[in-house]
Amino acid sequence: MTTIPTPASRAPAAAFIFKKALISALVALVLFSLMIGIRTEAGPSGQLIYWTRFGDLAAMVGIVFGGSIVVELLRQWWGPVGTVRIVPPQMQSALAVAGRLVAPLLLIFAFLVPVIFYDQRYILDLGILVLTYVMLGWGLNVVVGLAGLLDLGYVAFYAVGAYSYALLATNFGWSFWVCLPLAGILAAFWGVLLGFPVLRLRGDYLAIVTLAFGEIIRLVIINWQSLTGGPNGVSGIPRPTLFGIPLTPGPNGLAAKLGIEFSPTHRIVFLFYLILALALLTNWVTIRLRRLPIGRAWEALREDEVACRALGINITTTKLTAFATGAMFGGFAGAFFATRQGFISPESFTFQESALVLAIVVLGGMGSQLGVALAALTMIGGFELFRGLEQYRMLVFGLAMVLLMIWRPRGLIGHRAPTVFLRHAQTISSDLVKEGHG
Amino acid sequence: MTSSTSLLEIRGLRAAYGKIEALKGVDIEISSGEIVALIGANGAGKSTLMMTIFGKPRARAGQILFDGRDITDLETHQIARLRIAQSPEGRRIFPRMSVAENLQMGADATETDETDRAAGLERVFTLFPRLKERMTQRGGTLSGGEQQMLAIGRALMSRPRLLMLDEPSLGLAPLIARQIFDAIRTLNRQDGLTVLIVEQNANHALRLAHRGYVMVNGLITLSGTGSELLQRPEVRSAYLEGGRHG
Repeated sequence: MTTIPTPASRAPAAAFIFKKALISALVALVLFSLMIGIRTEAGPSGQLIYWTRFGDLAAMVGIVFGGSIVVELLRQWWGPVGTVRIVPPQMQSALAVAGRLVAPLLLIFAFLVPVIFYDQRYILDLGILVLTYVMLGWGLNVVVGLAGLLDLGYVAFYAVGAYSYALLATNFGWSFWVCLPLAGILAAFWGVLLGFPVLRLRGDYLAIVTLAFGEIIRLVIINWQSLTGGPNGVSGIPRPTLFGIPLTPGPNGLAAKLGIEFSPTHRIVFLFYLILALALLTNWVTIRLRRLPIGRAWEALREDEVACRALGINITTTKLTAFATGAMFGGFAGAFFATRQGFISPESFTFQESALVLAIVVLGGMGSQLGVALAALTMIGGFELFRGLEQYRMLVFGLAMVLLMIWRPRGLIGHRAPTVFLRHAQTISSDLVKEGHG
Repeated sequence: MTSSTSLLEIRGLRAAYGKIEALKGVDIEISSGEIVALIGANGAGKSTLMMTIFGKPRARAGQILFDGRDITDLETHQIARLRIAQSPEGRRIFPRMSVAENLQMGADATETDETDRAAGLERVFTLFPRLKERMTQRGGTLSGGEQQMLAIGRALMSRPRLLMLDEPSLGLAPLIARQIFDAIRTLNRQDGLTVLIVEQNANHALRLAHRGYVMVNGLITLSGTGSELLQRPEVRSAYLEGGRHG
């Protein structure tokens, strides 16, 4: 499997490693000489003062040099392999068994989070945040992962859902449970509206138009002051009720009705289970749809649009349903976001959010439900975990993303399980096969 | 062939990409149960004709009649529902989907029921046993010949009345190409399937076909039975000479 370097090949290898490390160090020197070597600041009277930090610079270059040698040695040690072989086969089969258990275990864990962490408000809030992104990821997964339509403006539907609920609830006093489906329907409607002009677009062009669409929605929200409150947002959004029973301390509250002492945590736990249910609904619907002709058509569309047309698949309805379905789940998530926050403003719906959700889908492995959930957990949860690292947080995060893209270029879970079973199911890892050429 | 009812009739068909006219008034007739070959050089408009029958690009003038019904202005998916199936140029199977899923896709677009689907699968697997072996494999992992089999099999899943094949021998080894042509002949003889085949490999195609049309610059210049066309000096010089295999 691995090639064992013979003594004869070792000498040139050492020279090669040294040369490579030297080049890396040189690049680091050029790159960091201004960034780290010189520090500038505005002086007391506004003039520019600067001082040098050559010690730090030398340390940095030294780290790059050493690191480069270590990386090259590791590479030689492993031999000329793809990343597949780094994990030995017996461990791979063990991993496969573990892999099958991940989803159920994760689900059980999710159900138990409010029980285990009942006293830790921070963890519960984080859980709600993660689940919101899991749901957004699963929603976008329909559009990007299954139908292969690169949507950079997904946040628009999130915003439509949030504002739909916020405005309907504050203006008409409608309950959350009435507004939730309405928010979904309105978002789906906007999804179709976006879908029509982009029917003929693919790839980069589609991405640009969807990006613009996301911005348009945000700008409309900012500027339509009379309806949306503009940059001030909408406040005083009603909290959700348990089918009409509010989670408040008063005599009509849920706590009083159940005869238990009121605690503000009840509402957090309720919100947690609410978003968990919504996310699972998204997942369930997506899994069901994938087995229906429309879901297969989405995947076929991602694979080859020309072939779809040749098979007589209605491209228009296929694309529009993908946009509408994805948008609907975005709308649900938006409505939840609004009721959880109690206050929304356009600031919550920037391109940053679209990019984050897209990153979750891509990192998770396009089309993989479990992958998206894991990616959301890593991205949102991991991001919070490294809060202690302060300014290095982004660095760690970036490094993790680069490593992931090197080792798992198709995302955490890159293979897709077939949905049509004629005899027995068998999945083939994406690592073993490359696309297209027989 | 002697069959008198014409399944597909094309009259004065014109189609264009922008200002470039690809079809300049094409007349073709295909009778039920016939194999018709359409041969011609690159850019003659063969593929365009096939695509125009399928509704994209739209015909600018002329008429397409399928089984006596005017289908000129129908949408692609509506045409497919009339059980006209197409195996596009370059195979175009779905690489990340399994063989079974690829076949299922062929049945999805036309409203076939479960028994139809099972019968379609059975037919495809008897015709191409290789596909049955590779049912759970991803389309992209098949060899070129197997992919072509899959492309034809996928088209057959809609239980078509007319099968249109665009260059089924493209990029295949001669032996594999012959297998594909044999399968088409079997389909025609056993199932009475009507086939329109577009080919650059004129020798193979004309031997297989009952009748053939030669297309040059968007116009039909010659027509006749397969063997007639094979004897014609202009066909020989344009498409057959130069040491083609066969």
